[in-house]
Amino acid sequence: MKRLITAFTTLALLGAVSLAPRAEDDPYASVRDKLQLCQTCHGEKGASTLPQYPILAGQQMYYLYVQLKDFAAGRRQDSIMTPMLQKEAKMTRDEMKLVATYFSEQKWPKTNYTVTEEQKHAAELMAGSAECTACHLGGFKGNSRVPRLGGQHEDYLLKTMLDFKYRRRTNAPFMNSLMETFDEKAIEAMAAYAASMSD
Amino acid sequence: MIPLKKNTTLIASIGMSAALLAGMTGGAVAEEVKKATLFGDMQKVTQDMLDHAAGDGNNFLHTNGNYAQTRYYPAQQINRENVHDLVKAWSFNTEVVETMETTPIVVNGTMYITTAFNHVHALDAATGKEKWHYKHKMGPITTYCCGPNNRGVFPYEDMVYMGTLDAKLVALNAKTGKKVWEVQIAEPELGYSETMAPTVVDGKVLIGTNGGEYGIRGFVKAFDAKTGKLLWTFHTIPENSAGVWNEYDATGRWMHRDIKAEKAAYAKNGDPYKTLGGGVWQNMAIDRDNGRVYFVVGNPSPDLYGAIRPGDNLYTDSLVAVDLETGNYICHFQYIAHDVWDLDAVSPPILTTVMDNDGNMVKGVLHGGKTGYVYVHRASDCSLIRYSEPMVSQENRWVLPTPEGARMLPGANGGVEWSPMAIDPTQNLVYAINLHQPMTYHVSEDPYPGGKLWLGGAFKVIQTEEQWGNVSAVNYNTGKIRWKVKTPQPMIGGILATAGGLVFTGEGNGRFRAYNSTSGEVMWQYQAKAGVNAPPASYNVDGTQYIVVAAGGNTQLDYKRGNEIIAFKLKGR
Repeated sequence: MKRLITAFTTLALLGAVSLAPRAEDDPYASVRDKLQLCQTCHGEKGASTLPQYPILAGQQMYYLYVQLKDFAAGRRQDSIMTPMLQKEAKMTRDEMKLVATYFSEQKWPKTNYTVTEEQKHAAELMAGSAECTACHLGGFKGNSRVPRLGGQHEDYLLKTMLDFKYRRRTNAPFMNSLMETFDEKAIEAMAAYAASMSD
Repeated sequence: MIPLKKNTTLIASIGMSAALLAGMTGGAVAEEVKKATLFGDMQKVTQDMLDHAAGDGNNFLHTNGNYAQTRYYPAQQINRENVHDLVKAWSFNTEVVETMETTPIVVNGTMYITTAFNHVHALDAATGKEKWHYKHKMGPITTYCCGPNNRGVFPYEDMVYMGTLDAKLVALNAKTGKKVWEVQIAEPELGYSETMAPTVVDGKVLIGTNGGEYGIRGFVKAFDAKTGKLLWTFHTIPENSAGVWNEYDATGRWMHRDIKAEKAAYAKNGDPYKTLGGGVWQNMAIDRDNGRVYFVVGNPSPDLYGAIRPGDNLYTDSLVAVDLETGNYICHFQYIAHDVWDLDAVSPPILTTVMDNDGNMVKGVLHGGKTGYVYVHRASDCSLIRYSEPMVSQENRWVLPTPEGARMLPGANGGVEWSPMAIDPTQNLVYAINLHQPMTYHVSEDPYPGGKLWLGGAFKVIQTEEQWGNVSAVNYNTGKIRWKVKTPQPMIGGILATAGGLVFTGEGNGRFRAYNSTSGEVMWQYQAKAGVNAPPASYNVDGTQYIVVAAGGNTQLDYKRGNEIIAFKLKGR
């Protein structure tokens, strides 16, 4: 893992040299190296093209900031993110806010996931039962505390909901309680349904 | 059928006078009539206008009609005999297409409406033409469990006031929409936010807070209307919230509390008041005779996991009265001590004269509970006089939530949700809209998550069971249901009664209907393009009465979203 991080950091530094605007004009100058590191997995400007890594571009600032805080504090566990925020890429609160703000200002990329009629029906039943839109809003566009799900990568959505169900992710206790009440088939349908939503 | 005094009403009189005068002197008089009001100087909203709103058939100045919150509109140009001729006068499309819960406020021919995410539009109430549009610059942290709602502005003097999702109170110039001042009400990171319209009286802007799902400590605050300076705070959660360890609810049902275990937890962990919830997110009724403020307090935090918050959890799930000048406590009545079902007190209380159990007419307070009962109180000491027949099915109440989920009716949306009720004092009837939504209640032993959503479990709608709604009329002096009309979907939004013998309310499927207020007969309906889930209002311009409502759907129940304000008037007017 350390070797991987070192490689990421090298890439980040190289990228920073070629891509960053002049420091005095750049509100993100102090976190350019961190941003470059993030983009190694999460894609250019956070528009991840790798299905296991979530799209960050266009996700709201406060949600992203809380996730960074939770990784750093160990409230959210992930084999890459937690050690990175705790060791290799530690950030101050202000740096976290800057990183979160940067990604929140980027445009959500278009994805092209599809859903079957059967999955759509199952997901709509689940959404009605759980009142998903009450927090995630119509189109699952999210808000400052709750992530956008619409158009997110299906693999990531499925992993996340299963992590909630089996309490591998515990930094949103309500989601644990909710996901525990649904079976894996319904959750798979919901992942496909949410991923298929577009602007 | 109640008698209708055709051609003798205030509205008709003003209309006729306008026509006669206009014929004599031309447009200047028409303009004067357009601005006419019984009270005040027509340039700003005076305290006198606000105090007389219950008899003002031109304006709609309060979220719920008047300080008593009766939602009984005195005009009767639109009545049972002609409501079939009600047609769309105009509609206006807002910029934001999302859930709408706004009550249109009308002041001397200008209408103020709000949308999700705190936009305000001022419109010409006769044409729907926009005068100005204010977009609140939202901070980075907004909090809402149940949609980015806003329920409207309150007009006072030359300003209108709005609470925001980032927990601010904003004062706008009513003529221009320019911001005059803004104050931070509470810390949004801890879960505080605003969706309610404020209530302004005697220069004080009164506002509560959302956040009962986030472990806040609830309050009602009073701010100076001119400057935004904080005048007083009433904490809805006292530092000793244990109460009397009541094991029975307001209707006398045992709530399965384990008092011994609760007392042990209280002794060990102390009072849980700092994170006990108790939001106030609907308007308060003001008793102008006695200088009192009546409001209802929402659920304890966390909603379903009670063991972490031993005691009655005062003053959650309660009717509370405080002194208008000081914010000091006067009295309370708790409907459910130690609620673990989120069947709290939300729908705004109504002040009216009621009959007590000795046959005396006394000042009373009505509240439609999420339990599905109408509660009738004595205003002097908040005590309960009676409760009505249940308007919705009561099944398995009060089964305790379990990890696997326990089925109970009403579901956690009620009963009666936040939707304001209306009364017709000439018939002693109160009108409510209901939900029949079977749910399972799941508990989880979650510690306080530091300002994040904290239910201590989950509610789930049982999708395999039928859901529906009701429009109900209840005699508040007997507690008997006068009539009840079933609707195909659970109801949320609000209701308006008029002196024309009608009640108006909308549905999630976009249907907006007028009912005979005595019999429940459907007398008129209109099909909107989105859910009609906002409280209707009424007003008068140039001698023409209008009914107005927002059709923007509802986030919580996922009713079709839209962005339309629709005003109706009689054909040919």
